[in-house]
Amino acid sequence: MPITLIVNGEERATQAAPMTPLLDVLREEFFLTGAKAVCREGFCGACTVHADGIARMSCLMPVGLAEGCAITTVEAIAADGVLSPLQQALEDHDVVQCGMCFPGMVMSLTKFLEQNAHPSRDEMKTALAGNICRCTGYERVIDAVLALTNAPQAAE
Amino acid sequence: MAHADNLYIAASVADAVAVLVDRAGAATPLAGATWVMRAPLRREPLAHSYVAISQIEALQRIDISEDEAVIGSCVTHARLAEALAGRGDLAALATAAAKSANPAVRQAATVGGNLCTADFAAADLVPALLCFDAAVELEGPGGVQRLPLQEFLSLRHALPVGSLLCRIVVPRSAARSAHARLPLRKAGDYPVAIASLSIEQDDKGIVTRAAVAVGSVEPVARRWPSLETALVGRPLNTAWIGVQAERLAEEFTGRDGVEAPGWYRVKVLPTLVRRAVEALSAQTA
Repeated sequence: MPITLIVNGEERATQAAPMTPLLDVLREEFFLTGAKAVCREGFCGACTVHADGIARMSCLMPVGLAEGCAITTVEAIAADGVLSPLQQALEDHDVVQCGMCFPGMVMSLTKFLEQNAHPSRDEMKTALAGNICRCTGYERVIDAVLALTNAPQAAE
Repeated sequence: MAHADNLYIAASVADAVAVLVDRAGAATPLAGATWVMRAPLRREPLAHSYVAISQIEALQRIDISEDEAVIGSCVTHARLAEALAGRGDLAALATAAAKSANPAVRQAATVGGNLCTADFAAADLVPALLCFDAAVELEGPGGVQRLPLQEFLSLRHALPVGSLLCRIVVPRSAARSAHARLPLRKAGDYPVAIASLSIEQDDKGIVTRAAVAVGSVEPVARRWPSLETALVGRPLNTAWIGVQAERLAEEFTGRDGVEAPGWYRVKVLPTLVRRAVEALSAQTA
């Protein structure tokens, strides 16, 4: 029996075994390779996606439990090819290094900023506890996001 | 509703119990899946089949009254932390739920999963619940059974077929509580050691009841009765309690693990007790 889920607004079906990690279905079947397969144990955050509006590690989510869920991957964050304000801030501040952790960073931060539009530096660090950057670029990430959230238009 | 032979999505507790019984021990309940999905990394086989219980509405309830908090076994750490925020007597449990793992894992990992995963020695919620004298309610073919949490921890390896942990019952009191943990990084990884405290004091500040629970030091979390006895009848003095914790810490046999050797877990325990007491004092202030 196929498993049906809504991926980036589009209904998709997979014949994968239900205990297959959602991450593997996204990458290998739907060719959405933005979510990265790195630690596969929920520590690094490189595979973060949104499932029904919640940031989740897709390596730890059996696709069978994603039946009917709305899944958003990093590929859908730049609507119509226009970077989100967060993505733009990260690019403007030249934050991206090797890029392995970045899709997960973007997904975690996108959801976090929806809930806390003006975070402190400590709150940002807490929010990023599950996103590991092997290039150790954390402070620059935080600087870029704070520049975004402290910008005059962010207060409106 | 079955997806395939190896994952059944249960619609109700009765449905889950029936399928677990029908599969005669070959099926395992599955909640947040955060432990099960890492089985290959631990070089463990997946179970023959799973019965997913995370979509059962009754297991996602949190009911808090003046007397007790009743927590459904499929409540996630994130929801529990949110529901308990600002409730001083349950602060240890709120902290445990809010600080464990990382934000995305807390959105998936459940209370029931934390208690049922016998091989997960570093579970934050276990010592926090132990210090409240929490009980668990199981449902199965024989009906509903309530057990003290410590007893459940010793039985969870060999529960009767069809037993499902459905609720955790946490008595409320005039106590104040705190939870201190030591991860190797500031956050995000497993704690090396955990100390949870629940303390009641009279109007002169004398401790009238003390509960201390220790997690991650030994393979299974447990209470620390000798330290509890030492605390009762005296004011809450951080330095003095730290000295007692150092004196009594040899009662623990630390477990060796990849993140820390056993001796280190025991060595840091008195410091965590002190930190938990400091957190209690800060609540008072």
